[in-house]
Amino acid sequence: MTEPVDVPGRRIGADPETVQRGLVTLVLTVVELLRQLMERQALRRVEYGDLGDEKVEQIGATLMALDERMRELCDHFGLTAADLNIDLGPLGPLLPPADQELMAA
Amino acid sequence: MSHPVPHTGDGGVQAERIALVDLLDRVLAGGVVITGEIRLSIADIDLVRVSLQALIASVSGGFGETRD
Amino acid sequence: MTECGVWAYAVSAEIGPDRLAGLTGVAGQPVRSVTGDGLAAAVSTVSMAEFGEQPLRRRLEDLAWLGATARAHHQVIEALAPPVVPLRLATIYRDDSNVAALLTQRQADFAAALAELTGRSEWGVKLFVGQSVAPATPAEPDLPGAGPGLSYLRRRQRQLAARDQARQAGAATAQQVHAALGRLAAASQLRPLQSAELTGEVTAMLLNATYLVDDAASARFAEAAATLGRQHGVRVEITGPWPPYSFAVLAPREAAS
Repeated sequence: MTEPVDVPGRRIGADPETVQRGLVTLVLTVVELLRQLMERQALRRVEYGDLGDEKVEQIGATLMALDERMRELCDHFGLTAADLNIDLGPLGPLLPPADQELMAA
Repeated sequence: MSHPVPHTGDGGVQAERIALVDLLDRVLAGGVVITGEIRLSIADIDLVRVSLQALIASVSGGFGETRD
Repeated sequence: MTECGVWAYAVSAEIGPDRLAGLTGVAGQPVRSVTGDGLAAAVSTVSMAEFGEQPLRRRLEDLAWLGATARAHHQVIEALAPPVVPLRLATIYRDDSNVAALLTQRQADFAAALAELTGRSEWGVKLFVGQSVAPATPAEPDLPGAGPGLSYLRRRQRQLAARDQARQAGAATAQQVHAALGRLAAASQLRPLQSAELTGEVTAMLLNATYLVDDAASARFAEAAATLGRQHGVRVEITGPWPPYSFAVLAPREAAS
């Protein structure tokens, strides 16, 4: 385990495990953001009604598989939906908090 | 003058510490700002920058940083 | 000898020495007053090594330092006899004569602000979604013959719609409560909502607002906030009385000299 680096008021834990966990959280947050955006876009297209039934079924199945995979990944790393969020201060949270209910199920 | 405390509507007062987030919101974004040469140091604090870096780092703790 | 500056906390009409006796401010420094033109500013001498622009910017990003300094700043302001015009955190002057010059130059503005704040305090009100609320996704039987993909999409659509509806209802409540409380206050201000991670709260925040209320009406105000919360089925959190940080405003200056 490496020595903590001293920065005024803040120590950075530079051990590999901590760094990796931070990176995993960051990556999964970005993936979750993309997943939610894609899902919303797909839902709008489906509502608009210009896609064939087969296409709609395909998109739905893909999104469902993606949702399932995200849950598995988070489970594997012991992350909850709350862990995946980033508070942007005055801009609010990155991901809508209500969606946490869906992931927590 | 009494300390700002969480105040229950039925007249009870809980003597808890002021939440830091409430205090910071007021002293960083409130209070009079004076501009002009006679003032030496910054009073126009960039709230976004301060809150993002300081608060995310301390709250999320998921980026390999720990508090002293 | 280290270079020094003067940290200014607030401006008031007069600061009695009894208020300052034994009072400690930022960096553990004693507090004293600088007077000018019928006004008084509460100040502390600080070292520029810690409070000069460069070191200050670094320290402001250290939450531990920022928290301690903010509390010290606040405690001094609270110790003064109201009405008081709080200054923003980190208002630092070269020396006492500059502080005195400030009081003289802006005498009328400070006097006007003090008059506006006399007999009034700031109160914070937050609303949270009630504990019992759990937006249940309306269960609908899947269409016969619908594939798993389509069923999934329909389910998600219902969930998002239910969530949007809940969010709209929350926003409407916040608006109504804010308007009602605003009518009981001399002034009001909406503050940014705080995230659950910051507050540690379980349910979502719907409103974060602050109000300038006559001291004589404060009990009634707090009661009204509690009542409105009950009526709308939301949890209310009230804090106060605060020094009037959010309502301390000096009239805009004419062209600088």
